[in-house]
Order: sequence, then C-alpha cells, then structure tokens
Amino acid sequence: MDPTSTEDGGGVSAVEGTELPASGNAKATPPTESARTLLTRRTIVFSFWAIVLGLGLPHWLWTTSTYRASLPLSTMNDWAEGKACDLRFAFPIRVRVPGWTREEMVELSGSLSALLDHDGSDGLLDFTIHVGNADEEPILPAHGDPALTVVLHAAGSPDTNGVTSRLEPGESALHLGSGLRQAGEIADQIREITSPQQEALAYLLSGTPFAVTEHGVLRATQNTWSEASLDARNTRAFKPSTTYHLSFSLFVPGNEPSAWAIEDALAAYMTPLLDALAGVSNFTVTTQVQLHASFSPSIAGPTFDEASGKWKLRKEDLSGFVNAAEWPLSPSIGEGSTINFVLYVPAPGHSPLVVADTGGTGWLVPQWGGVAILNLDEPTTPRKSTTDTDRTTLSAANLDEIMLTFADQLTALIGLPSSPAGSLALRIAALQRERATALLLSTASTLGALSRLVHKLPNIPIPDTVATSVGTSLRHLDHACQDLRAGRYSNTDTNLGALGNAQAASEASEKAFFEPSMVGQVYFPDEHKVAVYVPLLGPMGVPLVLAGVKELLGWYRGMREKVKRT
Amino acid sequence: MKLAQLLALPATLISAVLAIPEYSEHLHLRPLPNGYLYAGFNFTASTSLSAYESQHFRYFPRSLGQILQHSDTRELHLRFALGRWDDESWGSRPRDGKREGGTGVEIWSWLDSGGGKPAVEERWSSLVNSLSGLFCASLNFIDGTKTTRPVLSFEPEGTHRGGGNGMELLHGTLPHEVVCTENLTPFLKLLPCKGKAGISSLLDGHKVFDANWQTMSIDVRPICGLGGDCRLEIQQTVDIVLDIKRSMRPRNDPIPRPRPVEELECDESKSYHASDTCYPKRKEGEMAWSLSKIFGTPVRGSCHVADGDESHDISLEVSPDRAVEVSHGGSNDTLASHEQNQLVRTMRLPDSARQHTDISLPQHIFQDSPHQNRPTLYASRQITGCGQERGGMHTVLHNPHTHQQRIVYLESLPWFLRPYMHTLKVLTHPTNSHDRPTIPLKPDQMYYTPALDRKRGTHLELLLTIPAQSTVELTYDFDKAILRYTEYPPDANRGFDVAPAIIRVLPSTHNTHNTSTAGNEIGQDSYFRTTSLLLPLPTPDFSMPYNVIILTSTVIALGFGSIFNLLVRRFVLAEEVPRSAVAVRVAGVLGKVRGVVGSLKGRLRGGGQGRGGGGVAVGVNGVAAEGDGGMNGVSSVVESRKER
Repeated sequence: MDPTSTEDGGGVSAVEGTELPASGNAKATPPTESARTLLTRRTIVFSFWAIVLGLGLPHWLWTTSTYRASLPLSTMNDWAEGKACDLRFAFPIRVRVPGWTREEMVELSGSLSALLDHDGSDGLLDFTIHVGNADEEPILPAHGDPALTVVLHAAGSPDTNGVTSRLEPGESALHLGSGLRQAGEIADQIREITSPQQEALAYLLSGTPFAVTEHGVLRATQNTWSEASLDARNTRAFKPSTTYHLSFSLFVPGNEPSAWAIEDALAAYMTPLLDALAGVSNFTVTTQVQLHASFSPSIAGPTFDEASGKWKLRKEDLSGFVNAAEWPLSPSIGEGSTINFVLYVPAPGHSPLVVADTGGTGWLVPQWGGVAILNLDEPTTPRKSTTDTDRTTLSAANLDEIMLTFADQLTALIGLPSSPAGSLALRIAALQRERATALLLSTASTLGALSRLVHKLPNIPIPDTVATSVGTSLRHLDHACQDLRAGRYSNTDTNLGALGNAQAASEASEKAFFEPSMVGQVYFPDEHKVAVYVPLLGPMGVPLVLAGVKELLGWYRGMREKVKRT
Repeated sequence: MKLAQLLALPATLISAVLAIPEYSEHLHLRPLPNGYLYAGFNFTASTSLSAYESQHFRYFPRSLGQILQHSDTRELHLRFALGRWDDESWGSRPRDGKREGGTGVEIWSWLDSGGGKPAVEERWSSLVNSLSGLFCASLNFIDGTKTTRPVLSFEPEGTHRGGGNGMELLHGTLPHEVVCTENLTPFLKLLPCKGKAGISSLLDGHKVFDANWQTMSIDVRPICGLGGDCRLEIQQTVDIVLDIKRSMRPRNDPIPRPRPVEELECDESKSYHASDTCYPKRKEGEMAWSLSKIFGTPVRGSCHVADGDESHDISLEVSPDRAVEVSHGGSNDTLASHEQNQLVRTMRLPDSARQHTDISLPQHIFQDSPHQNRPTLYASRQITGCGQERGGMHTVLHNPHTHQQRIVYLESLPWFLRPYMHTLKVLTHPTNSHDRPTIPLKPDQMYYTPALDRKRGTHLELLLTIPAQSTVELTYDFDKAILRYTEYPPDANRGFDVAPAIIRVLPSTHNTHNTSTAGNEIGQDSYFRTTSLLLPLPTPDFSMPYNVIILTSTVIALGFGSIFNLLVRRFVLAEEVPRSAVAVRVAGVLGKVRGVVGSLKGRLRGGGQGRGGGGVAVGVNGVAAEGDGGMNGVSSVVESRKER
C-alpha cells in the first residue's frame, strides 16, 4: 500500500518532503508533523478547554449556586460571645426626707452613694442617688423613673416610729422610721431589698459569656439555699413571652356541677393581678367547663383511707392526674404560651380527695400550669335540700380559695420573684429586669447559633428576609443594652424600654433562625449530583482530558528536545 | 309524621320565644327497606354571644370557639361524608340534605370580609389550617385551587348583624379525603358528654365507618331571638345508614363466611331449584334487631345536663302495629306511641348515669312495603369519553314530580380539568317518552369563573328550571391538563378525584299541587350531592427524568466524542503507528508464555512416543502436524507484516 495515496486528510497533508519508509524495514515511523499542524491541533484542544473552563464552569457554578444574603457575622458573634454589651443595670434611687433642707439631703445622698458604690463595684446594679421632696422635681432625663424611692419619715410622724422599715404593695417606695437616720443604716436597708435582685441577675448571667469574673465573686458569696430556690424558680417558670393565654378549666367526673361563677371570681382575684402585670406581658383569659372527665388509665387513682375518712391521691399519680389524652386542654391559638389552670371537683362518692402525703389539694405543674381540687362539703346535708342551682353551679364563694391558689401559682409560673415580699411593684420591676436580661441572653445565643449554622453549612441559601430579621434583632439588642444601662426598663410612649426591645430582638432572631425556606433546602445530597452529572460529564470529559494530557506531554517533550539540541 | 317535619321540629322551637336549652341531643331511628337502618344523631349546644366573645365556654367547645374567633368566622359548615345514599330504595334524604356533605370533606363558611380580599384569604387559610389540626383531617390542603365563592348555592342559616353584609362565603372541598375514626374522635370530644354517656355512647368508629352511608356535620351559626338576645349555636350531627344484618354479625367472628347449605333460604318456586341450586329468597320484612346488637353497646346512662333540653332523647319511626321493647337496667317495658297510629314513638332516657338502655324490635313482616317519600330529584353525574386527552361531563337530573322545580347546580372543578363552556348543552325531555326530540333548556342564570392554572379552580353555577316529570341532561366537553412531574401524587395512576356537584332545590313559589311530596311544601330548600368522580389523567413514567438524562448524555457524548476525535487525532499509516511501551511489554510476556506452553506441549508429546508401536504413526502425524503448524505460523507472521 502506498502511504501517500491515503494521506489526503486535511490536518495531516504535510507528508511531502518526509522520508518514505523503506519497504523492507520491519518497523516504520510516522512522519514528523509540521509545526503548523501541531499548532492547529494544539489550538483546537486549547479552545475546547478554554470554552469548558471559561464558559462552562462559571455557567455551571452560577446556575447551581444558592443565594446567600450577607449577614453581619462578626457582630452576631460579638453578641454571642458577650463582647457587644457590658451588662450593667442602672438603679436610680430617690431619697425624700420631708422637712429637711436641700443641703442636708444632698449631704446624705453623697454619703449614701459612696457607701453603695463601694459594693456596687462588684455588683450588677449601678446605684445613683437623687434627692427631692416633690415628686414633680425632675431627675436627670437620661435616667428613667426611680427604681426605688426612699422616704425618711420625721420623728413625730404618725406613720412610722422607731427603727422600722415598711414597703407599700402598690408603689416602689421604702418608708423608714425616724430611728434610721444614719447613712450606713439606710444603705443596709437598701442592700437588703436589692440583694435578691443582684443574686437573681448573677444567676441568670452565670454560665453565659456575659458573665464577668466579678459576678463570679458575687455568686460565690451566695449561699446554696438561694441558688437552689433560684433554680426551682427558673425551672417552674414559662419562657418569657409577650403574651400568655390563661385557660381556666373546670373538670367534673359526672355531669354536675356544670357551671361556675368564674367571671365574678376572675374579676375579684385575677384582674387586679393581671393589671399589675400588664407591664410585663399581655394576658388573655379563657374558661371552659368539661363534664365526664375521667382519670387516665395510667394512674392508680385515689384510694380510700379509712383512718382519716378521705380519698387519697398518691404522689406518683400527680404527674398523670391530668389526662392529657382525653381532657381537651389544647393550647390557645395565637402567639404565646398557654398556662392551664385546672379545677377538679371530685364526684360525691370520691370526696374529699386530697394528696396523700401532704393533705393538700393543689399543686403546680412546672411550665404547664396549676391543678386544684375542690371538695364540696355536702355529705352532711342531704342533696335534696339544696336547690337546683346550688347543685349545678359553683358560687364565687366556693371559688375564693381556689382563685387564691391559682393566683399564687400564676406568679410562680411567670417567674415573679418572691422578694421583697412587701411590695408587688418592686417585685414586678425586678421581674422586668430579669425578663429583659433572659431575653437578651437567649437572643444573643440564637444569633450565635445562626452564625455558626451559616458557617458550617455552606450549601444553605440565606434569603434577604433573614438578613433583615438579623438586622432588626441586632438593632433592638443595642437599644435594650443601652436601656438597661440607663435604667429605662418599662415601656413608655416614646421608647420600647429594655423589656420591649429585648422582646422585639428575641422575636426577630427566632424568625431569622426558623426561616422555613432555609431549613427546607439544607439537604441536597452529593450522590444525587453525581448521578446526574456522571452520564454527561464522563463520556465528554475522558476524551477532553486525554487529549489535553497528550498534547501537554508532547509539548513538554518538544521543549526538552529543544533544550537538548541547544 | 314525616321525617323532614320531625327534624324541623327543633327549628320551630327555636323560632319560638321559649328559652333555648343550652344543650340537647336526639337520636332518630328509622328502618329502611331491604334491611337497612337509618340512625340520625343530633347534638345541639349553644352559648350566649357575650360569653363567647369573652371566651367563657360551657357546653360550646372551647377548642372550636377559639378557632372561630381567631379567624373571624361568622358561620361555619363542615362535613365529613362517606358512601352513597340510595335514592331509589331509601327515598328522600334526612334533614333535606342540609346536613350532608359530598364524599370526603367539605367546608363552607362566612368570614368577616373586613380588610379586603387578602385579609379574607388569610382568615380562610387560618381557619382551614386550625380545623385541620383539630379534626386530624387534611383540610390544610384546601388552598386557592380548591376554594370557590359560590353565589347562589348557599345562604347563611343564622341571623347576622347588618343583614349579612360585611361577610364573604368561601367553599372548599377535598373529595379525596378518606373519613375515618381519627375524625370521629375529635368530633366526639367536642360534645359535653364526650361519647361516654347518653346517645353519643353508641358512636363507635367500627360501626360508624362500617356503614353504607355516613355523614358527620358541624354547623355553627348565630341565632337571635325576638328580644335581641343572640346566641351562638353549634349543631353536630351524625347520620348513618347501617346494614342491619352486617352490623349484627358477632364481634368474635367478624369475617363473613358462607353459610352451610341447610341454612340457606331458597326460593323454591323457581323452576331450577334443586338440591344443588339455590335462588336466594327475597327478604320479607325486617329481621329482629336491638340497639345493643347493632351498635355493639346499649345506651350508657344519659347526658342530661343542667339547662339542657327536657324533651325526648330517642325517637323511633316504625309502623304503629310493631311491638317495641325498652329495657332500662334490668326492667323491661314496651314503648308505645303517645297517640294511636302514630309513626313516631319517643322516649326519654333515665337520669341515672349508671343505667343502660336498650331498644329491641322483634322480626317483622310487612303487610305492604313501607311508604317512602319520593326524593325531590334524582341526580347522577359521569365522565364520558375515552383517551387521555379529552373527556366530557354528563349530568342527568330527573324530576319525578308533577310540578316544575327550580334548582341551582354548582360544580367546582379542579384546574387540571379544563371545561369548554361553548360546548355546554342543557337538554330536556319528558321522562317517559324517549322518542320525542330533546328540547334545549336555557339556564335562568349562570355564574362561571374560569380556572387559572395552579391558582384557581373552575366555578360553575347554573340556575335551572326543570319541567315537571322530565329529565334534564347537562353536558360539556373538557380537556385534561398535563401536570408537572412533581405535581403528581404518589398514586397517580389511581386517578384524580373531582368533587361532587351540589344541587340546591329552591322552594317552589307556586304551590299549585298540594301533593304529598315531601320537601318543597314546607317551603325550605333541600340539597343533593352527586357522587364524586375519578378523573384519569395522563401519567408519565416516573423514572423518565433519569432515562432522559442518560439518553441525552449518551447522544451528546457520542456526537461530541466523534467530532472531537476527528479534530484532534492524527491519521497515519498502520505500519507507522509507534508501538507503545505497554504493548511491547505485553507482547514480550505473551511470547514467553507461548514459548513455555510450546515446550510443555513438546515434552508431553515426547513422553507419548515411548509407548508401544502404534504410537509411532501418531508421533509422525503429530510431528507433521506440528511442522505444518509451525510453517503456518511463520507464514501468517509474514503476512501480517506485509499487511502492516
């Protein structure tokens, strides 16, 4: 066969001039290629690769990329690590001494603030003292209302005498008797009121990045009893929320009584408490009557104790007393947690029903609600003598004690501090401070978790709404921090206050973290991508790569030979 | 006394100035022909509007009340239904069909229309989602595509402030939903006695959902008395038709088995009757039954609550000459009607919570078949056509009465069924003369909302007048849409459910014929629903995307590979192909192996030669052959070199 006759292909036409292989030779070598042919082929391979790398790859990356809005990750981390805010709580105190001159009072306040600042350095509360006899006398506008007003009564005043101190339930004022005149004594009284607050705040901060070592010192001084009580208070209370739904339910095993004077009872016992708590949360109230409520089969049920003549409920059964499967205690609709209050009226045959060990008739279910048992004292009088309404309706008088129990349980369930016992206003103010702190801490940790999540999962998309929510949350966090330091705790017309800002921040951060479109696409497995790409990229990639490698090798050899020749 | 009238009785009581009981419950029993029993449960609770608004609930369920408040619902109607009411043999429907739903789940409600359309849609979505959670039903799938806004078909049942202004009606259906026990349990939980006492203790999922036809309904509406005091009423009903024989089969042996030959009841008058052939005897009359045997339990106690209804609990509609026995606890008693020859007998359960009550009836042979009310209308609907592209809808409405009737015909179709309204034909002909030409019938009014793909379904409402004793046929053609790959449900080949058509028969204004027909003469409208339809859509092979990926990839790779190789490969003579190092090495190894094998062969042959004389010839042959082979081998090598 004549090699020339076959060589008419376009790319390999440059055979002329090359040596024809000797016919007798056993091994022929291909003619060396001309530089032009080589260049053409290399240009072709190069252009293919250029298209793949320059057009295909960016296109592929662009079409398969996920949208990630930019988040202020460093600020989020600062909050999570506790660097963004140095938590201090302003505690403005106003001192009023009726009958004293201004100079005398200024002198007293000077020595007071020196005394209080001395231990304020390792506490969380920043005490500032102002003086003034008249309420309308403005104190510095940077600070909100005074957290505590100290009133020193004159010696002859009929109110207080001697070395007594008194708190008013409705106002945040401390009334001191004429015996307590010394700055040291007054400072002691103030410390006594504020130390539970200091402890509670230190307890909240402990274990979080916001805890500063000096708080640790403060904690070390706490006794174990107060820590245990703080623990108990914390586990009982609901998560801070803007709205609580209170649901009062009457459960009856038979079909009587089927009505209760709940509206009157609520108006008498609950409404004043809820009005006082309005600064902390909103409350909605709903009531229901449920007949034919039976015990859950999982509990042993009450047993009759001959000795006392009472039906006793074992302590183990208390947790299963509320028959969750059958009693309609579904949470209320809308934002917020539902606090359930269950009143159980045992059947006449099972009355009186009490808890075995304590003999009590009410108990609290942590983070769920309260249960109370009402034993109607009727076996002595025959049923016929009572009128129809008496049998079927529980009067407000019947409910008095129950409502007191429920009110007590409610304060525990929303985490109202128990001290200072004398003043509800001071307790609520303390709760506001703790609430704001707890919300601030949880928001900071949520933002930190979101930042870690974004960092760990490079595949998840981040929509713009998340970035907006994070921004809102951070802005409110800043405000909350400033408000805490300035002592603006409660909501006013112009300002949300520390609690309001912390709540807004918490809501926004939760919204960002639980964004549904982010959660939905976290998992897009790599196997799936391989299954789609291999059939296409395999057969196309192999010739491309082989040709590329071959040309690279050829070029490398050529270079080496050139070097050798020279 | 007619069933319809009886059931209208509570309504008339309500309209009276009498104080409305806060709770009442009734059970109505009526044997139907061919061994069926109709049982209608009715539970009505009410609360004053002020108590409802301040969220103090007594007999009105709190869980539902909160949902209604949260979604600003003024009036709610919810239906769960299963099975088909047999018009032909069972007669007219209970409660005029007003407490009946189409197969699956149906909901319609009047919502506060404040805030415009988006606000109403928000409320609707909140309502169906909450109800979905409450009733463990897939109501949350009622989205824009399954929601319509009917104009003529429904009217509010309650009295509304402002005469019904400021509220909007939305209607949604889920024909695919299978109603079952998990829907009954929350339904019973809404009742004050929770299925533990009173007539609700008869409601057991095993029996209710074993029925031939059952429908559960919840209706919430405000009622205002003459004095202006308004109450919110919730009416819950369960209507079931049970096969008496089937329900009475023993619990320990629920599987139906063939009966032994001796126990078969054969019609011996048949000519082919023999020892091995049996024509089953027509059922005559009704077998003996009792509540405890049919429902598996007697009525446990009673649900008489304070401020409740003081009238009867159970009513039974049987012929006056039939003996009815009632047992309270241990004592037996006969239940007689209060007046002579009255069809309905009533009774009140004893107040005691412990006593069980049972009603039993002996076997009864009818002298004449019991009179059944003729239904107002007969309706049936089918899908016609073949193939996967097109189809047609065909509805037959038949008026058996001697007066004309005005009806509203409502269809809500899914978006993937695309009707052509220009093909809509309404033809009528007298029922008994098929030879006469059909006459086109013009609808009095027509409301049509065309579908939008994936956004809205079709809504078609026609106001028709059906002439006396005639049949109306309604037909139109439609296209079947092709869905997207992800829009198919897991069982796509089963077909897609199309919601039943709802037919409202308007009260006839000119009551010229004072016939004994039920329904119209009361002056109230009645409702019918056709059965739901199954629409087969073209379904793809669901492994298709992967096949497509593989096939296209192969084709692209083939084309790309050949063109690419053509462009970059160098073409040289066969001899000039440089032998790659690997090939040389492989050839070397092969040569060695061949050498070893050859020497082994040679040795084997050598060993064979040493045996006996006969072996020589073989050996010679063998050598010759080897020589030949060797020669051949050499020549082939030469040839192959030449070829190169």
